[in-house]
Amino acid sequence: MADHAEHHDDHDHGDAHGDAHGISHVATIKTLVGTGGTLLFLTVVTVLATKIDFGANINLAIAMVIAVTKATLVVLFFMHLRYDRLFHTVVFVSAICAASLFVGFTLMDSSQYQHTNIWHPSEPPAAPVGPRPTG
Amino acid sequence: MSGGHDDDDAGHGHGNQSRFIQHHYDDAQHQFDSGKFGIWLFLAQEVLFFSALFVAYVLYRVHHPEIYSYAHKWLDVKYGAINTGVLIFSSLTAAWAVRAAQLAQRTLLIACLATTILCACAFLGIKYIEYSHKIHEHILFGHYFDPCISPGGEELLTKNNKCPGTKGSVTWDYVAVNPDNSVGKALEGCFDAAKLDQDLKLSGVQADCQVETVKIEMKGDKEVEVGAPTPITNQCADELLVVLNGNRGMEGTGKELEKEAAPKFPCWRPAYQPAVCPTTTTLDQHTHGVGDKPQVGILVEYGDHEEREDIKVKAKCKDAVPPPPIDPIAKAAEQKKEQLGTKAIHPIHVPTTHEEHEIESLGPPPEHTGMFFTIYFAMTGLHGVHVLVGILVFLWLLVRAIKGHFTPDYFGPVDFAALYWHIVDLIWIFLFPLLYLIH
Repeated sequence: MADHAEHHDDHDHGDAHGDAHGISHVATIKTLVGTGGTLLFLTVVTVLATKIDFGANINLAIAMVIAVTKATLVVLFFMHLRYDRLFHTVVFVSAICAASLFVGFTLMDSSQYQHTNIWHPSEPPAAPVGPRPTG
Repeated sequence: MSGGHDDDDAGHGHGNQSRFIQHHYDDAQHQFDSGKFGIWLFLAQEVLFFSALFVAYVLYRVHHPEIYSYAHKWLDVKYGAINTGVLIFSSLTAAWAVRAAQLAQRTLLIACLATTILCACAFLGIKYIEYSHKIHEHILFGHYFDPCISPGGEELLTKNNKCPGTKGSVTWDYVAVNPDNSVGKALEGCFDAAKLDQDLKLSGVQADCQVETVKIEMKGDKEVEVGAPTPITNQCADELLVVLNGNRGMEGTGKELEKEAAPKFPCWRPAYQPAVCPTTTTLDQHTHGVGDKPQVGILVEYGDHEEREDIKVKAKCKDAVPPPPIDPIAKAAEQKKEQLGTKAIHPIHVPTTHEEHEIESLGPPPEHTGMFFTIYFAMTGLHGVHVLVGILVFLWLLVRAIKGHFTPDYFGPVDFAALYWHIVDLIWIFLFPLLYLIH
């Protein structure tokens, strides 16, 4: 059964509805396996990159760049967004932007709390002595 | 085929389409597009849903990087990496399932769905191993964080002493420097960190202390020491109890101590949380504070409370060794370096981040390290719930695929579930480096 479908297996028009045979884009096996393989490869890379010391911030940046690359691959090819309606991209990217604003705005005031001391119960902070400093 | 539509053309013929096309849609395309739009809105919501936890993560990491660089050592990169691979593979099979459904490859569709489910179960199985290990070792969230092992896997004595293998026998004893006669004097309570001759972070707190027990008797209200002290050493656990039993007899307690009852681990081990000792003189009478110097607690453990109620623990700590004399050449080189802003004649080894972390993880964890595990359990827990939901959805799809419900003009459920599964994978792609791969 179903062998009749094989003749359009390898259509890859990069075009959401150009495929006259189906109601949605059919990913090629090459795309799927290639994406999966790249994702696994990048996972190995990110683990190995942690073992090399570039300094904490650069290591974090490398890990995040790899994670974003992997996420982009997943979204574009596994989730078909590259071949999907533009509006779905708009919806998804909007959510990502909103999440970024959420994180970014929260960090904007983080320096306001730098001097918060979390103290141990056995070492309570000393009570302030004398008049409140002015200026 | 129960569905009876397997040989349908993939086209849009109204009279010959899947029986799952609802009549309120124009055609299969209309139904599919509506569903797809719906699932993308749901995925957008999922992103926002998880972003709240990422905010918690980022905010806490910005404020307390030391907690993250310490606590992630309790996580096993091996398990995290395997789970990443498992999820990526299951994403591949999920995407392949969509393709199979689109092309009416029923057997392949069933195989892909089944593989996806198996991978999801494997993911949760590995998560179970990780979680149960953490629960077992009390590496938990908030104030339940009371680890039984160090990040390096060493056994620790802990405050609450509920670790497996112990007998409820841990007691905290603090050794204080007697300001009058600090050298070689029996000490108890909190003691001065400066008097330890080894780096606390490197060696654990016992440093060069010799710990011994002395039998005590109550004379009136006062405790009086009786007999010679018995040193406690690393191999004392079993032997010591025998000695103690011989010394004190068992009258009144009504029970015989058996050797099996002895703690299974050495009774003298590195202390873990020196923060329990106050740094000021406002101590209670059981401890002997010395000024404002930082003090360190040591742990001594043997027997249980009943066994040791007439035993007193003492520790003799050597005086701190003065720092080695400064090498004049090295010092000159250092000064030269400062003056010229160039490299010193003798290159000075600057510890790498790795080395610093290695040293750091040997010492006690920073305070509120439990917060890392609060965030860890919240994020991985919510993700795990998503995986569980994914398993249920894919089981439902599997049943429908076996019944032959999916046809080239009706594969929306497979596509939408796969999209959901990819988002679950996507979130893990970020959780893995953020939690396991902290440098």
